[in-house]
Amino acid sequence: MSKQILHLTVNGEDREILVQPYQTLLEVLRDEIGLTGAKEGCGTGDCGCCTVLLDGKPVTSCLVVGLQADGHQVTTVEGLESDDGLDPIQQAFVRRGALQCGFCIPGAVVMARALLNENPNPTEAEIRWAMAGNLCRCTGYTKWIEAIQDVVQEVKA
Amino acid sequence: MTDTLAIGQRVDRAEGVGKVTGRATYVADLKVAGMLYGKMLRSPHAHAKIRSIDVEKARALPGVRCVLTAADLDHVDDEPASRAHAVLAKGRVRFQGQPVAAVAADDVHTAEEALDLIEVEYEILPAAIDPLEAMQDGAPQVRQRLVENDDSEAQAHATVATNEVKPTSNKPTNVSTRIHFARGDVARGFQDSDVIIEQTYHIPHVHQSYMEPRAALASWDHQGHLTVHASCQGIFALRAELASILHIPESRVTVIAEEIGGGFGAKIQPIIEPITALLAQKTRRPVKLVLSRSEELIAATPAPETIVELKTGAKRDGSLTALKARVVMDVGCFPGGPLNNVCLLAAGLYKFPALEVDGFEVLTHKASQAAYRAPGAPHGTFVIESQMDALASALGIDRMELRLRHCIATGDLMPNGHPWPFNGMRQVLDAIACHPAWLERKQAPNRGVGFAVGGWMGGLQPASATVRMDRDGSLMIVTGAVDLTGTHTAFRQIAAEEIGVAADQVAITTANTDSAPFAGTSAGSKVIYTIGNAVKAAAADAREQILEIASRELEAAPVDLEIRNGKVSVKGAAERSISLSKIGQVSTAIGSKHTPVLGRGTTTVTQQSPGFAGQLAEVEVDPGTGNVTILRYVSFQDVGRAINPTLVEGQMQGGSAQGIGIALSEQLVYSPDGRLLNASLLDYRTMTAIDLPNIETVIVEVPSPYGPFGAKGAGEPPIVPGPAALANAVRDATGCDFPDLPITPEKVVNALRRAAATS
Repeated sequence: MSKQILHLTVNGEDREILVQPYQTLLEVLRDEIGLTGAKEGCGTGDCGCCTVLLDGKPVTSCLVVGLQADGHQVTTVEGLESDDGLDPIQQAFVRRGALQCGFCIPGAVVMARALLNENPNPTEAEIRWAMAGNLCRCTGYTKWIEAIQDVVQEVKA
Repeated sequence: MTDTLAIGQRVDRAEGVGKVTGRATYVADLKVAGMLYGKMLRSPHAHAKIRSIDVEKARALPGVRCVLTAADLDHVDDEPASRAHAVLAKGRVRFQGQPVAAVAADDVHTAEEALDLIEVEYEILPAAIDPLEAMQDGAPQVRQRLVENDDSEAQAHATVATNEVKPTSNKPTNVSTRIHFARGDVARGFQDSDVIIEQTYHIPHVHQSYMEPRAALASWDHQGHLTVHASCQGIFALRAELASILHIPESRVTVIAEEIGGGFGAKIQPIIEPITALLAQKTRRPVKLVLSRSEELIAATPAPETIVELKTGAKRDGSLTALKARVVMDVGCFPGGPLNNVCLLAAGLYKFPALEVDGFEVLTHKASQAAYRAPGAPHGTFVIESQMDALASALGIDRMELRLRHCIATGDLMPNGHPWPFNGMRQVLDAIACHPAWLERKQAPNRGVGFAVGGWMGGLQPASATVRMDRDGSLMIVTGAVDLTGTHTAFRQIAAEEIGVAADQVAITTANTDSAPFAGTSAGSKVIYTIGNAVKAAAADAREQILEIASRELEAAPVDLEIRNGKVSVKGAAERSISLSKIGQVSTAIGSKHTPVLGRGTTTVTQQSPGFAGQLAEVEVDPGTGNVTILRYVSFQDVGRAINPTLVEGQMQGGSAQGIGIALSEQLVYSPDGRLLNASLLDYRTMTAIDLPNIETVIVEVPSPYGPFGAKGAGEPPIVPGPAALANAVRDATGCDFPDLPITPEKVVNALRRAAATS
């Protein structure tokens, strides 16, 4: 198979790269662009470690063919941080100790950002449902929920 | 505590920012010039003779740089001493997923394509899969000849003295280890009993399921020096294993620890690093090898399956009489499981005057086992804590009262005849007994409350560390310890407290095996307990050197000096002072008369401080679907002293979630011919955010006389009581026993139907 040109916008930067038609969006991000924040925990869409935003919607990037993102906007965990500093979700995760080994965290904070963009005032049950596709083996999720609730309160105040 | 500078404070992890931004580096993220990608071809059969392997087509594929089989390797035995030594299968495969060939190629897709081109001819052999059948005469044998058991992983956890029964014959058998504990007159004890409970318990194989699949990057320099970037729990242990397997001196191996995405005990045995190193050696190029999730589930190192027949007796007045247990542990195809821990906890948490325990470690044609957080302890605790509830019901005695009457205390004898070290089992029980979740529990249809208590003996290993003062007066801990989930932050707090500065004045680095002071493997809940003591000693040494320099500068005796607010000053005369940054400067300047501050700490703690944990679950059972909903979950733990409460709570919550997973959903399911039937995270179900409530935490502090600032190990205990707490809660809700884990909706519905049919 021959490589094809993929045009996409990643974290606000326009990219034009050569990719194999069988490469996943996760492979494109990690291996071709060098954004290694999104992780491969399973490769089958079960763990959520590779979650990124595609035109603002959360996707498991291991299940998206790279060329499907042609002409689209991708936001990765690296894109949550700005010149003004960390996203409030990232800050809250650090402050609450909501991370341990950290491998699932890039996917989790991206998912939490997607949730709050869609629903700035979620209930605990809504947070749990939103985060249910992001597996974490270290934290038991309690501190995730607390961190996300902190951000909800900060926005209200 | 308010009189501390750093201990007991919720200090943020310095590496937290790297982890939330995606900048923290894990092995799979690494890419170096000329790097190749490794992959392994695995056996589809549990037990088979390898008739032939044809790799010619794979070697001819463009982009393939190397294909290895056992025939290409010098040091692979047909009866390897351990799983790590079984680099590639020679002659015979002994579990589904055992590597038979390995490929290095320009990219991972080419490597995978090459695997499809390798032709292996197998002669399928009968396999021993069920452990009880594998114990019988005439069962297919896992070992063709006897080799010495490798107990290095059990040593890494360093638990307690065993009572091993030595084999009487040199003939190989699938029973790889037998242990026996006895005291008192068991037959008489049961004769004198008014109530006897007998039950057979089953805890299946579960997988540690760290989110980061195993990964390694290896390269050799022109002088034959190997460097491995690893996701491992102990850099020195990995270096020792690699040197042993590759037959080179340890001085020719450097191990660099990258961030580790969870290990839970599984990332001690090196099952991918040796083949990665050999591919790199053969190609003279760096090779990175990353496992897929299905490889992890099929062919890594799960926790062992355990079957326990347990019989206990008591008199009507509630006194305990006798305990008899038969423990069978299926460890897969290599020995070295935590049989001892199961036996000691099953028979050792309550004061039975007479007991007899027989333990059998059994080999089967399945992936060999590895440690999983408090290896064996959830199993032993599950059986005895389930049975204590059954005994209490049969006696008509409150289950809390029965436990408080008979729980062990410091000095009581364990089943192996050794006294229980100083511990807080009773204080943990007391904490549950006076908690509102227990005191205010209500009777309601289909609802129940259960609790359980269990412990972990705690590992021991010598350790060392250094604390250095830099030119600006800041302090740097240099350690060889791998930080799994925040222990580096606790080290900073320990050093800061000892020296008299704030935690943010202390940095830490994990050096590689060439330059780090020796530190043991991060396992067995011994990181803070042992390496933390070395850090404390190194900080005390650094403090002494700081005071010595200040003493000469201030012309005052060291005993008259104190370190406060970033300065060393004369007690009672704060104007006579020198800043720490000045000390950093004068101790490193050209032509200075002072020596640099380099604190050195070496320790070997020889006394254990067992950590006990208790958990309480309130559940609702849906009698129609059998679904168990956890309404409330409270985790109690004696950590001696919480160096950082946020980190301790994190351990308690995460360990609880893993214990709940063992209780309700996790099980590796094998077919009768030894193939794993649920090799994905969709089918192997760990707890998700919607399966759990917020996990409440109650930290109990019964200070250890030996741990730094009274701390005990915190990592292992919180996985221990969960399975029993859940089983007891579901029992309370339904009136049915659940000795067979996990407690799936199907099992609940069946148990309710059976109960309805017999009532």
